[in-house]
Amino acid sequence: MKRSPLDGSERTSWIYLLPGLLIYTAFVFGPIVAALGLSLTSWDGLTVPKWVGLGNYVDLFSDDRFYIALRNNAELMIFYCVLPLVLGITLAACVWNLKQREQLALRTFLFLPYIMPTAVLGIIWAWLYNPAFGPFNQFLRGVGLGMLALPWLGDFDFVLPAVGIVATWYFFGFCMVIFLTGIQRIDPSLFDAAKVDGASARKTFFWITLPLLMPEIRVVLLLTVIASIKSFDLIFTMTRGGPANATLVPNIYMYQLGFELNRFGAAAAIAIVGALLTFAINFAIHRLVGSQNKGQA
Amino acid sequence: MSRSSNIPAATLSFRLILWLLAFVTITPFLLLLLTSIKSKADVLKGAFALPAYPHFENYLDAWNAGHFNIYFWNSIIVVIPVVAASVFLGLLTGFAFAFLSFPLRRTLFGILTIGMMVPAEAFIIPLYYEMRYLGLINTYAAVIVPQIAMSIPFSTIFLASAMQQLPEEILEAAVLDGAGRFYILRKIVVPLMVPAMSTLALFLFIWTWNEFLIPFILVNDDAYRTLPLGMLFFQGRYTVNTPVLTAGAVIVIAPLILTYLVFQRRFIAGLTAGATK
Repeated sequence: MKRSPLDGSERTSWIYLLPGLLIYTAFVFGPIVAALGLSLTSWDGLTVPKWVGLGNYVDLFSDDRFYIALRNNAELMIFYCVLPLVLGITLAACVWNLKQREQLALRTFLFLPYIMPTAVLGIIWAWLYNPAFGPFNQFLRGVGLGMLALPWLGDFDFVLPAVGIVATWYFFGFCMVIFLTGIQRIDPSLFDAAKVDGASARKTFFWITLPLLMPEIRVVLLLTVIASIKSFDLIFTMTRGGPANATLVPNIYMYQLGFELNRFGAAAAIAIVGALLTFAINFAIHRLVGSQNKGQA
Repeated sequence: MSRSSNIPAATLSFRLILWLLAFVTITPFLLLLLTSIKSKADVLKGAFALPAYPHFENYLDAWNAGHFNIYFWNSIIVVIPVVAASVFLGLLTGFAFAFLSFPLRRTLFGILTIGMMVPAEAFIIPLYYEMRYLGLINTYAAVIVPQIAMSIPFSTIFLASAMQQLPEEILEAAVLDGAGRFYILRKIVVPLMVPAMSTLALFLFIWTWNEFLIPFILVNDDAYRTLPLGMLFFQGRYTVNTPVLTAGAVIVIAPLILTYLVFQRRFIAGLTAGATK
């Protein structure tokens, strides 16, 4: 690192660093390390933790429910990552052409869900989906699609997409906003040149907009993948993982094992697997999507 | 900025679709607002039917009977110190990472970024026992302190990268004038950081207001619950009383919508500045 004009004695540098680092270490980093240690023990929260080595992890990988949770999470990624990304990028390519004021208005509306607490959104959507008096089914009956009025959150086959759609609704406006600023970053002369060459809107999108948006695509993928792995609030408030494990995800399973069954070692192991998964996917996205844009840090 | 001002007619239908989509997106909020002013009898007439007259007493019921008076103040009592302390600590650590050299710099930075990637769910169990050991379960500190700690990585990185964009000449001139580092931070860096700091404060406000897991696990006394938690327990008690339930939800999200509408440009500018870094 280039020395800045402010650099000086190391001893006084710590004054700036220590307050933040100490609090962070005490209440975030320390607990992360402790969770790692805890995952190697069997502990009921009362007696002395018993060392079991990798036993919890071995148990997890022979646990059907854990596989169900992982598979559900993978399916949810379609709704957390793929759909918002595709919708967001398509909308950004459309909205970008509109006048400033109209663009701002659309952006304001579509972005709104993103600033809401997901726990409260879960409660609101549980009401929207209510089979008897929920607005969603009333709307379906009202337009003559009564046969589609299902008990959404109680249906084994439809509960996962029903929860997933909420995540899509939550994220797609956010994705659009990120892509919109990405498009604004692109040199307008590229679009003008394409127009002069007579390129169709479709061609311009696939040959100019899409490749140049790679840094934004990477950011969006990272954020939504992490959100999908840590999904807890939304699912907890809507279904608590049910019915019959149909929406069970690792963090819900962790909560059940830890805070309902007092199997804290096993719960910590799930948390660690989730964190490792986040790191691995993070790394993969950096390698795969990042490699095409070496200049962007 | 605004490019094509003459939009061809073909795009008109397509703008209609965009607006329809925007309308569908905010429909849950509109329904929420509508239902919150209905009577229980109105609800039975259908979700889209208008009430004969607005029943604002639902808000009173939620506020008093639903304990939203407690939850609302708790949210404010929690949000203010979290935002203030996080911005302050972020300034100090951000300053260090932007301008100062110290041993283990890269390692410490790596340790900070780990905290940004690992979700709270992963370390909530040890955190719970740490808080219990410290005797802080069911106190405001249980909700405030961990949230300050959790926001330090983002605050640090956000402010450090903003500080690195300051023109070096200003800092050099100050050093030549014999100003000390703390003086420079206070009198030169901080005033120039006001826009970045207010964007950061806005994000921290929203995140802290919305936090669910920390108060859910670390507090089980109604007296210390924040709004999202209050909403959850409220749901348990009032599932049948939809108007009061929706009035409660409106109380939780109204401050967010207000903040968002007032600061929306700053919000989106900050979001994209943070995202593309």
